[in-house]
Amino acid sequence: MIRHLFKLVWNRKRTNALIILEIFFAFLVLFIVGTLGIFLWDNIHQPLGFSSRDVWTVEVSMHQTNEDYDPNLAPAFLRLLKETQGLAPVESVAGAMVLPYSTSNYTGGSDFNGRQILASFNDVTEDFAKVMGLQIVQGHWFEKADETTPWQPVVINETMARAVFGIENPIGKRFGDPSKDTKNPNPERRVIGVIREFKKGGELSAAGNYVFQLKRLNGSPAGPRINSLERPPRNLVLKVRPGTPVTFEEDLVKRLQAVAPAWSFEVKPMTQMRATAFRFALTPLVIGGIVALFLMLMVGLGLIGVLWQNLLQRTREIGLRRATGASRSDVHQQVLWEQLILTTFGVLLGSVLVVQIPLLDLIGFIRPGIFIGGMLVAMLAIYLLAALCALYPSTLASRVQPAEALRYE
Amino acid sequence: MIRNYLKVAMKVLLRHKFFTFISLFGVSLTLVVLLVATAMLDHVFAAQAPDVLGDRTLGVYTLTMSGSDSIMNGFAGYQFLDRFVRPMTKLPYVEAVTFFSMPATGISYMDGKKIESMVKHADGAFWRVMRFDFVEGGPFTVEDDRNARFVAVINEATRDKFFNGPALGKTLEVDGQRFRVVGVVGNVPILRISAYSDIWVPIGTSKTDAYKRELIGDYAGLIVARSRADFPQIKAEVRSRIKEAEALIPDPKTYKKLTGGADTLFEAASRMFLPGDSGTSHPQRLRMILLGLALVFMLLPTVNLVNINLSRILDRSSEIGVRKAFGASSWTLVGQFVVENVVLTLVGGLIGLVLAAAVLSAINASGVIPYAQLSLNVRVFVYGLGIALFFGLFSGVYPAWRMSRLHPVMALRGRSV
Repeated sequence: MIRHLFKLVWNRKRTNALIILEIFFAFLVLFIVGTLGIFLWDNIHQPLGFSSRDVWTVEVSMHQTNEDYDPNLAPAFLRLLKETQGLAPVESVAGAMVLPYSTSNYTGGSDFNGRQILASFNDVTEDFAKVMGLQIVQGHWFEKADETTPWQPVVINETMARAVFGIENPIGKRFGDPSKDTKNPNPERRVIGVIREFKKGGELSAAGNYVFQLKRLNGSPAGPRINSLERPPRNLVLKVRPGTPVTFEEDLVKRLQAVAPAWSFEVKPMTQMRATAFRFALTPLVIGGIVALFLMLMVGLGLIGVLWQNLLQRTREIGLRRATGASRSDVHQQVLWEQLILTTFGVLLGSVLVVQIPLLDLIGFIRPGIFIGGMLVAMLAIYLLAALCALYPSTLASRVQPAEALRYE
Repeated sequence: MIRNYLKVAMKVLLRHKFFTFISLFGVSLTLVVLLVATAMLDHVFAAQAPDVLGDRTLGVYTLTMSGSDSIMNGFAGYQFLDRFVRPMTKLPYVEAVTFFSMPATGISYMDGKKIESMVKHADGAFWRVMRFDFVEGGPFTVEDDRNARFVAVINEATRDKFFNGPALGKTLEVDGQRFRVVGVVGNVPILRISAYSDIWVPIGTSKTDAYKRELIGDYAGLIVARSRADFPQIKAEVRSRIKEAEALIPDPKTYKKLTGGADTLFEAASRMFLPGDSGTSHPQRLRMILLGLALVFMLLPTVNLVNINLSRILDRSSEIGVRKAFGASSWTLVGQFVVENVVLTLVGGLIGLVLAAAVLSAINASGVIPYAQLSLNVRVFVYGLGIALFFGLFSGVYPAWRMSRLHPVMALRGRSV
């Protein structure tokens, strides 16, 4: 049966080759849509690690060049923190280099036993965990005492802990190989705590390695220093009491402006940043999705038309089958199977091409499993589409009356 | 002859309404997507108000500092522009030079309500290079900038947010600084990258003077040439000045080289999106990539159209047989079929244009792109027709060739291809 069907497909190879090509392209489009869809769905279902409820952010522009190193900046920032902490609607406040939902990133690689591991970094002050509601699973978060240790304390997320230390307990362990630069060595870093998660990009972003370092705005103790950690962070995050009115924003900016007149401040509730981040991520996806939907509609209609026309050409063949005793459902099935064989060729071609992406690791930030998922979704969708398109033409074909068909010219 | 072809084409299209619908659907859908993209690109790169001099303007937008293992990218710093680009005003082939910052968000509070606006710092010459249409008052001057007077030009949207009615002479507070409004201009879409902002204030009013020490910062400079023929000279001059500016690199141990150049907007975009070696721009490569993307996008609709066309011929084999039997050559038949197909795609193209206009006005109305005034102008219309024609030829040739090879006897009997 199958061999016979293949023969029928082969007999019309030139027409069929083009249909296969069309299915191949349609499969690629569905694959892209499916992969992105699963990628997002997977991301949304991973824990976020923080809460943006009642969190406000203040972007602080100090109007300094990157090269300036002004020792007065850190004390000024500490004054800002103190001023803010003293305001009635503020529960807690902290400084942070990078804000959740922001577009800025701070990534770097460190060597661990000679193996480089990439991670995102954030330099924060002591109360950051309290403001953002981070969940500590091992060790402890930064405390006052950590500001004066001769080594740099770091807090990492579970993903990073697994990547670096495997199943060992990371607390108190050295973080990163000793500096190769002996003249100007970086200070030793040690893990003091592990948090559950911190997805800086928000719900829609993928989880990754994350490292928090403590800002030392009071100056580092003796020993090698990281100057960048003594510079003030670029943002304030504050947890306000529930029900704080928007009017507090103006009040807050006025207070901050009074403490540091040369700086500029931009206050935003974190929920607003979250909305913006969602819009930025989803708008192109929605537009792409709509275009893909229309493309599939076009492909579907095209397949119906082509199949219909092809069957019209084969009226005599179908009539002959009916005359020799094939039932209507036999004709139905034949048309359906032929269509599915064509689809299989298209899907095979597409899969061979697409499977190279995870195999050759072309797009690193998406896990291979997600690509496989995307492929499966695309396959399912394309088979469904092909079968649906075969339904109407095959019904028409099965209605062919043997007597009429045989004299059809 | 062509008239006959057209007649036959219309008849055939009307005979198979379902096929015609599918074809038109595919063609117009493809055209809509490509036209909307084209209209956006056209809006960014073509010279139109306010930068009417865009055609003979070169910009120094981004600079790159690079060392053996560090790279720092950013917009030009004011120090660089001031010391190395400003003196170019004196060159005979340079008409004007202007500097301005990238717009940054400025916050104001009015009666307990927060107002966010984009604030751009610009020099006095900015208003001579960019031709804004002023609704009220006029621009600030070179004098205003030099003396750091707190004056501002605002757009209509900002005026409506701050004041009821005319704004001239009134003051508004942004980021704790008070500015007196000297002019109001019509809204400028964000896609006019150099001109766009809500509020324009003199560079001298910046909160600190840190910008004066920056080699890489958030400024850009525009150089207006007397004519396009002077572009090569200006580019060479800017390149050599950037080389000179390498002496200013603040951290010579990490960074050894400073690269960049005077670009048209499209070259600047290619420099940004295709960061190449040694700071050269690759406008050709960007053009090829855009063209390639458009072609890839057209692949699926094209294959679809080819398939439908092939099916359609099968139906007309007897007509072809008759024409062949009466001596029509293969080439004539190919010509006829391609003309038919082009007619079809042009009809689809027209539908696509109408739909694209609707989509563009929907984008304008939605406010997704601030102050967008996307429209189908003559340029975009010509692009659209070009795409439709190309589409028609591309998808018509193979089916036509297949059709023309039918054997007349077979064709007359109505056998399949």
